[in-house]
Amino acid sequence: MIRTEELLLNVGPQHPSTHGVFRIVVKLDGEIITEATPVMGYLHRGTEKLAENLNFTQIIPYTDRMDYVSAMTNNYVLVHAVEKLMGLEVPERAEFLRLIVMELQRVASHLVWWGTYLLDIGALSPFLYAFNDRERILDLFNELCGARLTYNYMRVGGVKWDAPDGWIDKVKELVRYLYGQLEEYDALVSGNEIFLSRIKGVGAYDAKTAIAYGLSGANLRSTGVKWDLRKNEPYSLYDRFEFDVPVGRNGDCYDRYLIRVEEIRQSLRILEQALEQFPEGGETMGKVPRVIRPPAGEIYVRIESPRGEIGCYIVSKGKAEPYRLKFRRPSFVNLQILPKLLVGESMTNLVTILGGIDIVLGEVDC
Amino acid sequence: MQHYWNSPVTWGHAGIYLLGAIAVLAVVIFFVTYAIYFERKVIGWMQFRQGPNRTGPLGLLQTAADVAKLLMKEDTIPARADRVLFILAPVLAFVPSFLVLAIIPYGLNLQFADLNVGFLYYIALSGVTTIAIVVAGWASNNKYALLGGMRSAAQMISYEVPLVMSVVGVAMMTGSLNLRDIVIGQEGYFWHWNFIPQILGFAVFVIAAVSELNRTPFDLPEAESELVAGYHVEYSGFRFAFFMLSEYVYMYAIACLGTILFLGGWNPPLPQLDFIPGLIWFALKFACIVFFLFWIRATLPRLRVDQLMGLAWKVLLPIAIANIFLTALGIEWFG
Amino acid sequence: MTRTTRPPTIARFKGAGILKGLGVTLKTMRTKKVTYKYPDVPIRMPDRFRGIQYFEPDLCIVCNQCARICPTECITLTGKPNPDPAKKGKVIDTFDINFEICILCDLCTEVCPTEAIVMTNNFELATYSRDDLFKDRDWLYGNNQNIRQDNNNIGAPQRGGAK
Repeated sequence: MIRTEELLLNVGPQHPSTHGVFRIVVKLDGEIITEATPVMGYLHRGTEKLAENLNFTQIIPYTDRMDYVSAMTNNYVLVHAVEKLMGLEVPERAEFLRLIVMELQRVASHLVWWGTYLLDIGALSPFLYAFNDRERILDLFNELCGARLTYNYMRVGGVKWDAPDGWIDKVKELVRYLYGQLEEYDALVSGNEIFLSRIKGVGAYDAKTAIAYGLSGANLRSTGVKWDLRKNEPYSLYDRFEFDVPVGRNGDCYDRYLIRVEEIRQSLRILEQALEQFPEGGETMGKVPRVIRPPAGEIYVRIESPRGEIGCYIVSKGKAEPYRLKFRRPSFVNLQILPKLLVGESMTNLVTILGGIDIVLGEVDC
Repeated sequence: MQHYWNSPVTWGHAGIYLLGAIAVLAVVIFFVTYAIYFERKVIGWMQFRQGPNRTGPLGLLQTAADVAKLLMKEDTIPARADRVLFILAPVLAFVPSFLVLAIIPYGLNLQFADLNVGFLYYIALSGVTTIAIVVAGWASNNKYALLGGMRSAAQMISYEVPLVMSVVGVAMMTGSLNLRDIVIGQEGYFWHWNFIPQILGFAVFVIAAVSELNRTPFDLPEAESELVAGYHVEYSGFRFAFFMLSEYVYMYAIACLGTILFLGGWNPPLPQLDFIPGLIWFALKFACIVFFLFWIRATLPRLRVDQLMGLAWKVLLPIAIANIFLTALGIEWFG
Repeated sequence: MTRTTRPPTIARFKGAGILKGLGVTLKTMRTKKVTYKYPDVPIRMPDRFRGIQYFEPDLCIVCNQCARICPTECITLTGKPNPDPAKKGKVIDTFDINFEICILCDLCTEVCPTEAIVMTNNFELATYSRDDLFKDRDWLYGNNQNIRQDNNNIGAPQRGGAK
């Protein structure tokens, strides 16, 4: 008589493919997962609680550290919420700068995802190709605001720095260069038969499930739902530019891959137009009171981060500090579908699916 | 060294054999050292990087430093591991990797053992390493290691079949399994080499060989992104070095074998180029194969287990068998 | 429910994609390498780079703005009465930044009305002991290389937005 036993395997918190300190306890039958329990919170820093004792300017550096791959969009969601609550006007030049850095950030973030996803699947080089190009974006950010990852760039009512001389031209040049690089990426992996066979049909779900789980971003669009806050609820200056929202059909990792690669291309399109229309002069800070004290009330603001819908909910009692601050973090919400997707998959697909969701642990645990 | 084989055993001959063995060992160790160095360099170049360049001139001493570090490292054995098997596994992996080198002819008269079943000898001994890997995975008492060991067993057994089958065509054309005879059978211009008439067999051989080596895209047993390091996750220090060494010695052996079976061994591509020694031609072809292995490692992602098995049994094996039939027909019709 | 992503060009035969990828890596082998020669050749950061602060004690008016704005509360300072009895106000006595928790967010230099504390382009903070990361007034005064030229202290009282 052969006796079989389920194997309980602890994947993480130190594991190369969990993209940070994240743990999944999986029950394995051979190599097939019968049950998966994600365990998170290893990177919890209590940002929301800390924020209750900080004024709004002080919270901005904390948002940098939530989704550290896409700090600019986090900056934006906070300052945008405060501005809306206070009814502040932001000068056009500042808004343009914000939009440009956010779109550059989206490209950088998708490049990180692209490289690490390929690394998860076992290809070594794409990671270095992606980081080589992301480096150019980070160098531009470094020139603009003096940091490469935690920018602390936006302020309530504007941005901290105006673009230095020649910066806009450098971005223009970079956009042209990145168009060419995208072709190279496609040649390097997008047609690779091994890669395609690894991701086609893996981790599929339908639109109903995706909405039920509250998914957003590429995870939602891969099922065919055309939902992009830049189009559906235009914020900043997105209504001025022409771009497409790529959607998939099957809701599998392959569609998510195609969508993210296409989103890079669309971001470059937005950047091209924004750089063309960039105003000659103007202020970068609006008229802002010395101490930022939003009136009593509450507000929820959401924008499209590279990972999905990032929201900021502020309850103000008229003080300089928020009474309550809550971030809706897309990584955290998107991760909730993981246990459902993993059942019945193999160990190898665990990595493919987890990578396909595109989480940043700083944001999941916040 | 062939004439010693047929003469009676004396102390002198034994001594010569010992010296020869040490020489091969030195050559192989030298190869492994610089194969690792060039692998890192080549992959670095393909990724906009320099590769190792800090230790010694051009980083040439990098591997030596790495090995020295491994040897000086604390030797850890997990508390609940099966001690005997844990210690035995690296040895078991390493010994056959060196034994297979005995049959490799580098030139017409540069060979240790001229076995009539040379290729079968290679397959039989390299199979032992599979056992070592399963033993390592089991003895470590680690779940990742166990999964890696099981994967490895399945993979190496599956791919040995197409590997052997792909060479059958070559053996049929030569009428021998003796590696020296196979090379002699490929004399002439480069289109007389086996890789052109045996193009199917060559393709199957390359894929199966990469898989036998556990290298990308078939490196599932150690799949870093899933199984962390697979069967040697608990090994460190010189035991780990032994696994590493046997892996690269197999790479050496497979590259030699590919050169001999399909690329004409020490034969020059054109008989007019005969003035260049055969050993250099051998080394050139050998280097091309090794470079190819590095190159695909820098480019390709990894297969999934089920796809890996499917590829072996559903694709490679039928092709290899078809190749045997085609070869038989070819021999029948064209002589 | 139509797909609007662009699937990569359909490969003509099995393996074409793999060959294309191999071509890309082979081409890259000959390109210029991007590696910095960092420890041998120092990296020049752009002027706006936010590195370890430089502190000028003579300019400090002990207004406490920097300590108050600091999100991580890593700045501690004390003042003492001006030794020159003819002058009003305080002068700085101790000024410490704990670089274990400083996040180099730039807010302290942003609010400083006299530019007594400014960023530099130096970033090498690694030490063997945590104690060494506690930098005092003299150390910060000595950190006077590569000081940032343009400080843009938009949060400081005299400039800033509307009162």
